[in-house]
Amino acid sequence: MSGIIELLPKVKEVLVAELMLDVTVDEIGDETPLMGPDSLGLDSVDALQLIVAIEKHFGLKISDAEAAKGILQSPKTIGEAINAGGDSTKSS
Amino acid sequence: MNDLTYCLLVTGANGGLGTAIARYFLSKDEHCYVYLGVRANRDQAEALVEEFEGRCAVVTLDVTDQQGWKNALKSIIADGRNVNVLVNNAGYHNDQLMAMMPRDAWDGVIDSNLNSVFLGSQAVMRGMMQQRFGRIINIASLSAIMAPIGQTNYAAAKAGVMALTQSLAKEVARMGITVNAICPGYVQTSALDDMDPEQAKAIKKTIPMRRFGKAEDVACAVFFLANEEASYITGASLKVDGGIF
Repeated sequence: MSGIIELLPKVKEVLVAELMLDVTVDEIGDETPLMGPDSLGLDSVDALQLIVAIEKHFGLKISDAEAAKGILQSPKTIGEAINAGGDSTKSS
Repeated sequence: MNDLTYCLLVTGANGGLGTAIARYFLSKDEHCYVYLGVRANRDQAEALVEEFEGRCAVVTLDVTDQQGWKNALKSIIADGRNVNVLVNNAGYHNDQLMAMMPRDAWDGVIDSNLNSVFLGSQAVMRGMMQQRFGRIINIASLSAIMAPIGQTNYAAAKAGVMALTQSLAKEVARMGITVNAICPGYVQTSALDDMDPEQAKAIKKTIPMRRFGKAEDVACAVFFLANEEASYITGASLKVDGGIF
């Protein structure tokens, strides 16, 4: 998807800065899971913070919990959602 | 206060406590801006707007109406401001023994005292998260702890406010938002005006300070919790009761 390559470093920067993660941007892979085993170890409060940060930095409003689950999988899924704009933020 | 510009929204701002809280902030911090959330009666709030011209405004707000909160916040944002201190003060009591309590007396008290805190806190939360600063101060009551006869509805609502305060405080702690409650005891507002003098005398005997509190006693506690420097106090319930409990 066009633009996602440029977008991913910024997404990772936001992740590290806003959630005050103990890792560097370079240590986060495009498909590193945000939650669960072998992940960045985010919890539900981090996810809430991330939703607010994504809106603030990328203008993407995620107001649907189901959509949030799908988007907040990895930096790549976040990048894809930002690229797709508002269309992907509503669950059916 | 510090360098931060405080933008307050006080609900129930036409009552004795609400206006006292607003007045306290306006007197102590010349840079703050106060929105006075009122539903129907607005004479006291409007008098405050006249007195502190250009430093506060009345905003129409039914605290039990989710859309009402959205509209109020929208009008504040249209003013170019973001609420960073919310004082959930609105509420009323309707005391009766539970055996005789009609359903609407239960629902009304739960709605105005507890549901309103949910709606208000949720309405301001995203804005506070983006600012990475916020203060939510909930006016609970000593009734939440003492649970007096005739106040099953009010005591339950205010105990709910205290529990909500503790739980929400944990949810938003990382985002620079603190959530605290204040539990006033007997405060000399219009709510106490109807009290029989003999009854008032008897109650004062149960208060270690031997007097009812002033609205300003509560207002100064709100001011303290709102301060930027009170950043490590969250999830607390502060009693302002002259030592009753």
